[in-house]
Amino acid sequence: MEYLGHVLVLVAIYTLLAASLDLLAGQTGILSIAHAAFYGLGAYASALLAVRLGAPFIVGLLAGMVVAVLVSFVVSLPSLRLHGDYFVVATFGFQMIVYSVFNNWMGLTNGPLGIPGIPQPVIFGWRVTSQLDFLTLAAVLAGLAYFVVWRITTSPFGRVLHAIREDEVFAQALGKNTLRFKVTAFAVSGALAASAGSLYAHYITYIDPTSFTVMESILVISMVIIGGAGSPWGPLVGAVVLVTLPEALRFVGFPSSVAANLRQIVYGALLVIMMMFRPRGLVGRYGFGR
Amino acid sequence: MQFVINGIVAGALYSLVALGFSLIFSTARFFHFAHGALYCVAAYLAYFYASVLGWPLWVAIPCAVGGCAFLGGLVELAVYRPLRHRRASSDILLVASLGLFIALQNLISLAFGDATKLLRSGPIKEGVLFLGARITPIQIGTVIAAAICITVLDSVLRFSGAGKKIRAVADDSELGQILGVDTDRVVLGVFTSGSLLAGVAAILAGFDSDITPLMGFSALFMSVVAAIVGGVGSIGGAALGGLLVGLTQQFVAATLSTRWQEVCVFVLLIVFLIVRPEGILGKPLGKAKI
Amino acid sequence: MEALRCEGLSKSFDATQALANVSLEFPTSGITAIIGPNGAGKTTLINVLTGFLRPEAGRCFLGRREVTRLAPHRIAQLGLARTFQDLRLIQLVTALDNVLVARPNQRGERLLGALFRLGVAAEEARNLQAATDLLRFVGLEEKALELAGELSYGEQKLLTLACCLATEASILLLDEPVSGVHPEMASRILGLLPRLRDEGKVVIFIEHDISAVRQIADLVIVMDEGKVIAQGLPREVLERPEIMEAYLA
Repeated sequence: MEYLGHVLVLVAIYTLLAASLDLLAGQTGILSIAHAAFYGLGAYASALLAVRLGAPFIVGLLAGMVVAVLVSFVVSLPSLRLHGDYFVVATFGFQMIVYSVFNNWMGLTNGPLGIPGIPQPVIFGWRVTSQLDFLTLAAVLAGLAYFVVWRITTSPFGRVLHAIREDEVFAQALGKNTLRFKVTAFAVSGALAASAGSLYAHYITYIDPTSFTVMESILVISMVIIGGAGSPWGPLVGAVVLVTLPEALRFVGFPSSVAANLRQIVYGALLVIMMMFRPRGLVGRYGFGR
Repeated sequence: MQFVINGIVAGALYSLVALGFSLIFSTARFFHFAHGALYCVAAYLAYFYASVLGWPLWVAIPCAVGGCAFLGGLVELAVYRPLRHRRASSDILLVASLGLFIALQNLISLAFGDATKLLRSGPIKEGVLFLGARITPIQIGTVIAAAICITVLDSVLRFSGAGKKIRAVADDSELGQILGVDTDRVVLGVFTSGSLLAGVAAILAGFDSDITPLMGFSALFMSVVAAIVGGVGSIGGAALGGLLVGLTQQFVAATLSTRWQEVCVFVLLIVFLIVRPEGILGKPLGKAKI
Repeated sequence: MEALRCEGLSKSFDATQALANVSLEFPTSGITAIIGPNGAGKTTLINVLTGFLRPEAGRCFLGRREVTRLAPHRIAQLGLARTFQDLRLIQLVTALDNVLVARPNQRGERLLGALFRLGVAAEEARNLQAATDLLRFVGLEEKALELAGELSYGEQKLLTLACCLATEASILLLDEPVSGVHPEMASRILGLLPRLRDEGKVVIFIEHDISAVRQIADLVIVMDEGKVIAQGLPREVLERPEIMEAYLA
């Protein structure tokens, strides 16, 4: 039961990550492999504020989101004008740097040793201690993020994002400042990923750089793509499939070190298979990368 | 002065990897991220043949390089070619290559574990003095190997029949087909030889420093920057870009500290992407046809 | 004061001179046709005027305002809308949604507007009305809820015209609005242009069909090899033998 609760919390966290990336990659058609960097920025900001300054959870959460937004401009403003392939390279570079900062800036982040002892959240008097508490918190945050993404997607703003995805030149000819839309989508996506990071940090109570590598970014992209772009259910389906599938591996009896690698091999293989046979994903409406 | 020597050596390595990556991009028209995994595979194959199976180096190394080249060709045949025939966009190919990257990377981790491996037999040799800096025989070998490969490749592209076909496909695949060039064969050849070059670089790197499962990511990042900065699709560009990246990296490591080297290389990338996205020697990027 | 003006525009690609010192004035009312053989530089001219290409030399003016180096979306916002030779639309959404996207100054297109939707519902209702009216104007109101990708080619061309109009631009640059369309649809599309002129729009279109030009254009501009070789009233320009020769050559 405890174990099931744990899996559910992970599903909630990854749904949050996948939904936020879907806004960027699924709705706007901008591929990014920097999502783990924003996830990590939120986690570290939250953890540092809580551990070093005793800041409450909400403060850490909001601070993480602000940091993510500001940092996102550093990447997006110079690079979003470029052709998609080059932008992916820029996000790759950005991801590598952020990981490098987490791993090397010993003074701030403790480097590879990570930050232990992150306190459990207290939100306006509610102590989040039990598995059920965390599940509630995670579900609420994931639901909020989902709501934000849905709200944006179904608005005129979302209409323009879809237009950009299909034909950016057409959108520009209609008077839309497509750069502004793309930069905004990137920032919102990053901020929501950061909130997932805060949640993760306070749940596991220990973070280190290895959770925020480019592999993790690729994992989240996999969820968006395998679940399916352009459908409201895509991120949820993707998160559920990619979180529970490897747990099933554990039941079959593989030791955990092997399971970790096997899981990634499965992700990679699934990604390739999806691209070859069903780019639309499981429940998506738009074929990815048309 | 030491950093100049180190920069040239590092640059030589990156040039080799960038050459393959760049040629693949100009003929197959997408960023083949899995190139980094193939790099990694070559080093581990060499370790496996030499240290585990105990084969003499003059057998192990060609087998490893050959294995890597073979795998590169296999990847093209099994994954990219079918996608290309279905007119998949460069985004889909990129995502497929990401899937391949993590699948291969984790296969390596699964087979060999995450501990550092060594290709060299003894301790690091001190190296001879050259113009006031130390350079080891392996490092000299690296620079020579890179110089040879670059020259040979440049001549092949310029003067041979195969080279003409490669250039035809790179300039305009449709024109190439009209002229009777078998695009599929050219691309297969490019993948095989590009992977071969990456394999050579990986083994040289493996002798100079350590072999870890993560060596692929770092080398890939540096080489992608090298390819872009130098100009994708240009041999001289890959060489020049590699040199620039290598020198930047070593200069930063020597003057500031090793932890900033990736950041500075990234800044180099961003500067080029903004100011001159086609790179030093590249052709101006084709804008969307309007 | 002309609606649209350019002076000394030059643009080359590799070895080809696509535009060579082109200077033109488009009047504030009327229908202007631009004709010329393939490769004359007509589309390049439109791309430069609308900001999608930077000229190597020369300037463009929208009314009094210089727009030479402005971004395409900015020029569109200032009142210059265009269609594309290769049909550009959002294929996967409805015709209505395509026209709705084109509506300018939408509060719902700001992030806060999207999230909090203050006044957005009312604005959407107004835009919906405008979009429906425009679809009715071009004769597509029955296809409003069909996916743009499922319309016939001619209907898609009508849709792009509706999108142009939706932007409330005062100047319309139409790149071959009836090419590839069968004659009945072509006359339907071309028949809309005089109505737009009468409503005060400046209509500029690229065309190959001389009889259509003769029928509806108030002014004809002939281009060849990147230069303007003639301009004037259709009945004068189109009678000149050297023009017809250059054109049909």
